This record gives sequence, C-alpha cells and structure tokens, in this order.
Amino acid sequence: MAGDVDQEAIRERRKKRFRTLVCIDGSEDSYRGLEYAAAISGAPDSAIILLYVRPIDQGMRTGGLQVRVARENMLSWGLELPGIKYLNRGRDLLVEHGDMALSWDQKITHTDVVGDPLGDNKVEYRQTEGKTIVLKLKTAPNIATGILDQYELGPYNLIILGASGRWGGWAKSLLDPAVAEKVAIHAPCSVMVTRHLERGHGHLICTDGSDRALEMVQKAAVLIHRTEAKRVSVMSVAVDVESESDAKRYVEEAAKILEENDLVVREAFTRVGSPVETIIEAANDYSIIVMGDTGKTGLKRYFMGSVAFKVMEYAERSVMIIR
Amino acid sequence: MALRSRDAADGTDNPKDTFANKLVSLASEFSIQYLWGKRWFLIALAVGFVMNQLPLPDGLSREGMIVLSMSVMATIMFITEPIPLPSVALLIVLGQILLLEIDSSKVAKTLWNDSVLFILGSLMLAVAVVKQKLDKRIAWLIVRATGTKTKNICFGISVTSGLLASFIGEHTVAAMMLPVGITLVTLTSDDPRQVRNLAAVLLFSIAYGASIAGIGTPSGGARNAIMVGYWKEFFYDPTDPETRKFLISYVKWMTFAYPMFLLQLPIVTLILFMTFKPEYRDLSRAVVKLRAQVTSQGHMKGGDWVAITLFFMTLLGWIFASDQLGMGTIAILGATAFLVAGLVRWEDINSGVNWGVVLLYGAAISLGVEMKNTGAAQWVAESFLNLLSPIGANEGFGLWASVSVLTTVVTNTMSNGAAVAVLGPVVLKMAVVAGESPIIIGFITAVSSAFAYLTVVGTPACTIVYASGYLKTTDFLAVGWKMAVASTIIMLLAAAVYWPFLGV
Repeated sequence: MAGDVDQEAIRERRKKRFRTLVCIDGSEDSYRGLEYAAAISGAPDSAIILLYVRPIDQGMRTGGLQVRVARENMLSWGLELPGIKYLNRGRDLLVEHGDMALSWDQKITHTDVVGDPLGDNKVEYRQTEGKTIVLKLKTAPNIATGILDQYELGPYNLIILGASGRWGGWAKSLLDPAVAEKVAIHAPCSVMVTRHLERGHGHLICTDGSDRALEMVQKAAVLIHRTEAKRVSVMSVAVDVESESDAKRYVEEAAKILEENDLVVREAFTRVGSPVETIIEAANDYSIIVMGDTGKTGLKRYFMGSVAFKVMEYAERSVMIIR
Repeated sequence: MALRSRDAADGTDNPKDTFANKLVSLASEFSIQYLWGKRWFLIALAVGFVMNQLPLPDGLSREGMIVLSMSVMATIMFITEPIPLPSVALLIVLGQILLLEIDSSKVAKTLWNDSVLFILGSLMLAVAVVKQKLDKRIAWLIVRATGTKTKNICFGISVTSGLLASFIGEHTVAAMMLPVGITLVTLTSDDPRQVRNLAAVLLFSIAYGASIAGIGTPSGGARNAIMVGYWKEFFYDPTDPETRKFLISYVKWMTFAYPMFLLQLPIVTLILFMTFKPEYRDLSRAVVKLRAQVTSQGHMKGGDWVAITLFFMTLLGWIFASDQLGMGTIAILGATAFLVAGLVRWEDINSGVNWGVVLLYGAAISLGVEMKNTGAAQWVAESFLNLLSPIGANEGFGLWASVSVLTTVVTNTMSNGAAVAVLGPVVLKMAVVAGESPIIIGFITAVSSAFAYLTVVGTPACTIVYASGYLKTTDFLAVGWKMAVASTIIMLLAAAVYWPFLGV
C-alpha cells in the first residue's frame, strides 16, 4: 500500500508542473515538435518527456515466431533496437539548442516487459532547479495505446506528435489505424500534431464564440504565453454573411482575453465559408492552428466529426487542439 | 485503465454531479467505448445469426449452413481482429461442439494432424536454429562469394535467404538474417537518413528472398503443409489406388514449385534496384569491419558443427523420410534433437514460439474439414463458379487466374496460413466441380498465398524485417505491387506450361 501512496504523491507533484509529452518516431516532424516543446518548457517548473513506443510482439503475423527472437538476435550482434537511436537524437538536439546539459543528474530505470527483450527503459535528466527531461522507451500492444497509457502514469499538459508517417493513407491505416487520430480523440489533455512546423509565423487561434471556446482561448493564451512569441492572431468563420457580425464579436471577445494575458494580437479577422476549408486555407500563413475541443468525449467526438478534428486531419500546418 | 481515469477527470470538472449521475455517465461511456472496440465481433455474430435465419438455399444442408456461417464469422475476425486470434480458434472448437453437436472428443481429434504437428515442430526448430548464432558466419560466406558490390551482395543475400527459407520457413530466415542486413547498413553509415535506400534494398533482399522461397518445398511454410493435408483428407481413398496421386510427396512438391522460386530470384534483385537507388554502390568499408567481427569469434566450435549436422539431418529427413513418417514427425524429431543435444534451452523455445498460432491453425484446419464433410464447401464452390461463368472464368486459365487473385486478396488481409486453411476446401471443391485438376488449383492457392508483398503484415518475413525500424510502410507498397505482378505471371506460366508436363 505504501507504493500507492507514493504514486499518489508523485502524481500530485506532477500536476503542479508543466509537463509535455513528445512522441518521437524518428520523423522530422516529431523533432520539430520537440523543438516546440523546448520552447514552451523554458521555465524551471517544466518537464519534457520524449517517448518512443515500440509495438509489442505480433507473433500471429510473424507466422508464430515471436519478434522477440529477432530482436534478441539483433541485440546479440550489438545492434540497437529501433527507438534508442531516435531518442538519443532528440536528446542531442536539446543539448545542441542549450535546453539541457548532459551534466544534469541522471537516473536510469528499467521495467521488464513480457514479450520484449529490452522492456521499458527510462533515462531521467534533472537540473538542480527542477527542470526535467526524460527519455522513455516503452513497449505496448500498439503505438496509440502506448501513448495514452503513458498519460495515465502522470498527467501531461500537452502531447505532441509528428504527423508524418502516422496519419492517413489507407495502407498505413491498415497497419496502424492513424495513431495521431486515436491519440487526439482519446487524450484527456491538449494535443498538437506537427506538420512541416516552421517556427516564426505565429499562432492562429480559431474560435466559434461559444463559452467553451472562450475558455479554450484562455487556456491557449496560458500555453502560448510560455513561448517567447507573444504575438498571436485570431479568426472566426461565419457560415453565411448574416452571421458575420456575430463572428466579429467572437473575435473581439477572444482578442480581449488574449490581451488580458499579456499577448499581442497581431490580426483579428473573420471569414465567410465552410469552417474546415476556410480555416485550412487561412492557416497557410501561420505556423500553428490552435483550436478548442468541442467538449464531447469519446465516441461522440468521433461521430460528431468536430471541425477541430477535420482541420487536424486535412490541414497542411501543425494543429493544436486545446482541451 | 485509460477509461477509468478519464471518467475521474470528468467527475472533477463537474463537482455538482451526484454519485448516481456519475455512475450513469461512467456506465454509458464505458459501454459505448467497450462496444465500439468490439464492433467487429458483434458484426460477425450478427452476420452469423442472420445467415442461419435465412431460408436454406438449394443444395445446402442445415449443418452446412452452420459451418458456412462459422467460416464467415471466423474470416471476419481473422481480418479485423476484434478479439485475440487464438480465442477465435477456441470459438471454432466451441461452435463445432455446441452448434453442430459433434462429440467433443471427436472435435478434439480433428484439431491435431500431421500438418499441425509440422507447424508446431517447425516453429520450435526455427527458434533453435536462430539461437545457434551462425548468422555471422553465413554473412561472411555471402560477402566472400559476392565481393563488395552492393548489387552482388544483395543478390547473394536473396539467394542465401531463399535457399534456407525454402526448407526451414521464411520467419526463421528473416529473424536470422535481419542483423546481417542491418549490420551492413550501420557499418556503412551511422546516419539512417543517408542509407535509407541502401537499407531498403538490403532488408527487402532478405524479406522477399525468403518470401518467394516459402513456396519451394512443403516445409517452406505452414500453408504448404496445410494444403498437403487437405489433398490427402479430401481425395485420398486407401481402397482406390487411383487416388494415390493426391499424396503429394516432398520431392514431388519440389519438382512443381522449386523451379518457380529459382526463376524469381534474379527478378527480386532486379525489381529492388529498379525501385530503390542505393546511396552506396560499394560496401567495402562495411565488409572489412564485418570480417573483423567474424574473426573475433574464432573458429567454429564443436557445438556449431553439431548444430549444422542436426540441421542438415532434418532437411534430409524431410526430403527422404517425410512420405513414410510425415513431415510433422520429422520437424518434431529435429526440434527434439536440438533440445536433447542441449543446443537450445526450453525457456528460449517457450518464449520464442507463439503457441496460439498452433491452436489457430489446428482449429482452422478442423473447420475446413467440417466444410467438406457437411457439403458447405461443395455448395460455395458451385455458387462461386456460377458467378464466374458469365465472364468465362469458370474453367481453364480463367479459373486459375481468379483463384490466384482471390487468394492474393485474402492473404493480404490475414496470415497466409489462415488464408489457405479458409480457402483450401472451397477451391479444391471448385476444381472438382469445374473438372480441373485439384492439384493444380491447390498449388495455385498455396503459392498465391505467398504473394502478400504489399503490406507489412502480409508475410512473416516482412513483419520481422519491418520491426527493425529501417523501413516505411510506403516502401512495401512501392515495391510490393511489382513483386506481386511478377510472381503472378511466373506462377500462371508455370501452371500453363510447366505443370502439365509433370502429368496432373
């Protein structure tokens, strides 16, 4: 029972920190996401967790021979399993940008997992002021489950995933039904999917004027405030010309909230048209589209086909869903 | 676990909620999420139920309909995997006992036969062979024979993977050769982005070399063993000497299929180099380092020689003794010999073999036999042929091509052994109804089931190689369709030109 109490205490402590989970899959997009995570985690109360999920064995698909046999054979050749290299590259990137130093306190933990010769491995780097960076190699039945389970271990404020290679495409969905989609639907915290993320073009916040959306704008403001970029843009889409005046009002309300949070509103504009297409089109001039979650959970989210998810799926820019 | 805490989070958002409300919302969310996850299982059950409520079509008995609906349900579950696959096997067993009211001991008997023993034995043998760590020496032998040109090394790897895989199964070879490919890649460059195409040609040489070889001999894959078992079960009648031709011996299979494999070997390398342009045309740097690694291992030890001897004894046993003793017996004998000689630990075998697969194949074969006994296979075969007759594909070459396409489609969605187990009874009956040789149609099905080059999950070798993390799923599509086309053409050529010479 003592273990439970400890776990509870750790969770409480973690809640007070700003924790970002970056899912590394070796793609460029995931490293751009890591850089963004570094930018919002400048403060000493923050933590970045780099996660690589290795799907556990698929003995059925390998004709009855466990993948473990092949993995053990690779290890005996002195070869690294996929994942370690990717995580190390992420760490090197952070060191290069001065976001961490290898001289920080280091702690390595290991958990055995049935079906994988390496199990779960964790390297934790802790700065004296309290900033932590964790590299974690995790085994799970599939990638999305691994990421969502990781949330259970400690609440996070933001999950960042790379879009490339993980989203869409019928072939990929056969193998691994859109990890980013699954995580975005089920994760209880804000999720960002990075796609050709180029910093410096600013955030574009989209609002639909509902109370909930304004709440989300407030949350987004807190998050964006952590980055050095203090300039943001706001937009709202009116379905037809008559409702454009409403849209204008929404934008002003949102802009007010943003300014109250020390952010500079660069542009505040409205457009008329179908929300998803209009947002995707307007977003091309910005780095990141920020949208509120509609507040539906689980299946409803899936069926109601919220604007946010459609944008996330089809946009050519990075999309952050605030929750 | 994920569910519980998400609900807890909802609860803290609305402190006004009464306990009862929370409970209701928790229950509703739980059940919806839960049912959604199991939707394909429910759909399969619904399909089975509806099929059994429909009026019986002409020529199909009540039992036949039950078995047919079980096959359809099993196929849906094989493809969508809403529940762990071994539990589909258990459901098949339960269905036979409860729905068909067959005595449970009788059902249990149909779960084991020589094909299933072969699957069991060859998996154990696979782990034993991989554990011998002879891969470095094999790699060294390859590069010594091929020199340092990338193209030659790839061809050498395909040939070696193929020759080995044709006897001991593609998964064994893929697991054994994977480190060879990756070592050559990492010794060439540390940065994976600079050797992407090189990694692709080397790893696909292993995967496709092994995949095309799986058709070569009956021991090359579970699907072959299953087909051999079906021929015997369906057509062999001990009282009729005419039917002895349906006992396909090891050597007879090889004369049918081995030339096809040999013909495909150079094509693999050709297709790979047409699709991916490797960054390095010469791998001398990597080869020099590889030699250093191999020499540091020292000379072959006594145990290595024993392992090699046992391995070749097993091969010879398959070739010369499997007709009398059964292929399964030889496989079990080989695995036992490795265990007795102390060359592999039982713990390694226990953790390396997915025992659920054995169960799954046993159940699938047992269902296939029931398809035959109840006449369901006959009925499906007749209906299918009626569908094909308007386009002239109900006989001859058209039928061969349609069987091949059907198998290729099915095998890309599920494990190829399961595909043969499910399709086998139907296509064999189709051959009988259409007046074609069941042997040719059977070969076409068994061989086409190896054409799952398109997806990562299609063939065991592809899945294992993909687990290295060096390949993208799109790579499989880019090169896989060319492989599938080439293989289909070669097989249809063999069926039209070569097999008739062998007198079937």
